[in-house]
Amino acid sequence: MSVMSQDVKVVAPAATTRQALRLFAERRRSFWVVLSLLVLFTAWEIAGRVPISFAFPTFLDTLAALAEMVADGSMVRAFFLTLQPLVLGVAISALLGIALGIVMGLSDRMEWLLAPVFIVLQAAPMAALVPLVTFVYGIGLVAKTLAVIMLALPVIVLNSYKAVRHVNPSLVDMCRSFQGTRRQQIFKIIIPDAAPVLFAGLRLGVAAGFIGVMLAELLITPTGIGDLITYHRSVANYAHMYAAVASIIAASTVTLAVLQWFETNVMRPEKRRS
Amino acid sequence: MGFLADRIRSAALVSALAVALPAAASADPMRIAFGDIATIETLGLLIALERAKEQGVKIEATFLKSEDIAAQAVVSGQADIGIGGPYALLQKVKAPIRIFLQLSELQMYPVVNTEFYQDWADLNGQEIAVHSRGSGTEAIMQMMADKHGIEYSGIAYVPGAEVRTGALLQGNVKATIVDSSGKRVLEAEAPDRFAFLPLAGVEATDEAMFANTDYLAENPEDVGKLVEAIVTTWREIAADPTVVTKLREQYNLLPDATPEMLADIEPYYAGMKDALPLNGGGEQAARSDFAFYTASGALEGKPEDLKVEDFWDLTILNSVLGRIGTQ
Repeated sequence: MSVMSQDVKVVAPAATTRQALRLFAERRRSFWVVLSLLVLFTAWEIAGRVPISFAFPTFLDTLAALAEMVADGSMVRAFFLTLQPLVLGVAISALLGIALGIVMGLSDRMEWLLAPVFIVLQAAPMAALVPLVTFVYGIGLVAKTLAVIMLALPVIVLNSYKAVRHVNPSLVDMCRSFQGTRRQQIFKIIIPDAAPVLFAGLRLGVAAGFIGVMLAELLITPTGIGDLITYHRSVANYAHMYAAVASIIAASTVTLAVLQWFETNVMRPEKRRS
Repeated sequence: MGFLADRIRSAALVSALAVALPAAASADPMRIAFGDIATIETLGLLIALERAKEQGVKIEATFLKSEDIAAQAVVSGQADIGIGGPYALLQKVKAPIRIFLQLSELQMYPVVNTEFYQDWADLNGQEIAVHSRGSGTEAIMQMMADKHGIEYSGIAYVPGAEVRTGALLQGNVKATIVDSSGKRVLEAEAPDRFAFLPLAGVEATDEAMFANTDYLAENPEDVGKLVEAIVTTWREIAADPTVVTKLREQYNLLPDATPEMLADIEPYYAGMKDALPLNGGGEQAARSDFAFYTASGALEGKPEDLKVEDFWDLTILNSVLGRIGTQ
C-alpha cells in the first residue's frame, strides 16, 4: 500500500515535467537545435572515448583545448589574422559581384560576355587553382584575399544576375506606364525588388569566402586559424587541432545564421514564421 | 533504396576488413607510407627497398602528401611502416608505435645576405625566416640564438627550403635557413652575396622509420631484411656517393627524372654523406633527438626524463647490427 502511494507520487510530477517539456518543445524551435547539438556532441564524446582512432580527441578534451586557446589569446590573434583576407575578399566580392551581376542582368550583351566566365569559375575545383595564385601573387595577404574572391565572387555575381532577371515584370511595366525613366526603373523598381535575392547571394558568397580563406591558409602559407590547425597537427595536439577546426566552423555558422536572421526579418518580412 | 542498402552493406564490410587486416597482415606485402613524393632525395631509400625485395620481402610503397598523413596511416593500420619524425605523436598519442631505424639527420644551413649581416651577432634584433612554427628549422635558429645570446625581432614562416632560397636570391629575405639543395643553388647563383653561419652541436633525426609494435613483433624477419638493406646501402653511398647514379640505372628507378634532376644526384649525395646514419641511429640518436625536440617544443619534459623504450624499438636494429657489425 505504501509502495503504491509512493509510485503515484513519483509518477505524477514526471507526467507534468513531460508535459511541460512537450509544451516547451512545441513552442520553442531552439529546443530542437539544442537537442540536435546535444546528440552530436554526445556521439562525439562516445566516439572519442571508444576511441575510434588514437588521434581522435573527445568532445570534452576539445572543449578544454578551446578554452585554453581562448584564454592564452592565441585564438583571438588567429581570428584577427584570418578575418583580414576574409573581410577584405568578401567586401571586394560583394561590391564588384553585385555591380557586375546587376549589369549582366540589365544588358544581354554583358550577360553573353561575362556569364560564361563566371559559370566556368563556379564549376571549377578551386582547391586545385588556389596553389596557382602563389605563382603570380606570392604568399602574402594579396594571394589569400584573391583566394577568397575566387570562391566568393562567382556565387555573388551569378545570384545577383538571376535576382535582376527575375524581377517582377508587372512592376517594370507599371514603372513604364507611369513614364518612369530608365534610371528610375533601375534604382526605384529593379534593385529594390531584387534586393532579397541579392542579399541571399551575398550570404552564399560569405559562406564561399570562409571556404576560400581556409583553403588559402592551408594551401598557401599557414596563418591564423590555418596555422593553429597545421601547428597543432604537426606537434600531435589533436584536441587543439580539432578545437581550431571547430572554432572556424562555429564562426562561419554564427555569421551565416546572423545573415539569415537579417534576411528573413529585414529583407523579407513576409517569409518570417509567425 | 536496395542499391543504397547494398552500398552501406559493402561499406560496412570494407570497414570491418580494415579493422581485421592488421592482425592478418603477415602474409600481405609490407606497406610503406612515404611522407613525400619520390625525388632524387628518396633515391637512396628506393634503392634499399629494391635490395630488400631481392631478399624476398614483398613491398608496397605509397607516397603521401605529408609526414603527418603517413603517421596517421600507420596509426590507423592502413600502412605497416611510416617514414618521418613522429616524436610528438609518440609522446602525446598513446598509440603502440615505435621508431626502429633512423634514416637521415637534419642537414640545414643558416644563411645570411652579406650585404646586411656577417655573423650570428648581427642577427640580434633582426627578422629571420624559417619553415614553420614548431619545425626543426625554427628549433635550430632558436638554439643558436640562445647559444650566441641574441634575440630575433620576429620570425616569419615561409614553408619550403626552395621557396626560402628563391626569396633570398630575390632579396625578400635577408636571413634564413636552407637545406643542402638550397645551399648548392646559392653557391652556384651568387657565391659572394651569401654567407653560411657556423652550426655546432645540432644533431637530430630528420627522417626515421616507424611501425606498429605488433607488426614489428610479428614480422621480425622481413623488417630485419629491410633494415639490413638500408644500413648496407647507406654505408655503400657514404663510401662512394656516385654509386647512386649507377644503382638508379640498374634498378630503373625514377625513370621520368629530368636531366636537371639527374645532374643533382651526385652533389646531393656527396653533401648527404655525413648525414647518413651508418648504424641506424639507435639509442644515441634517440638521446640527441630528445635534447633537440624538447628544445623545439615538439616533445614535452626534460630530455633526461624521457625513456628510449617509449619511442624506439631497438630489438631488430640490434640483431641486424650484431650480424653485420657496426661502423
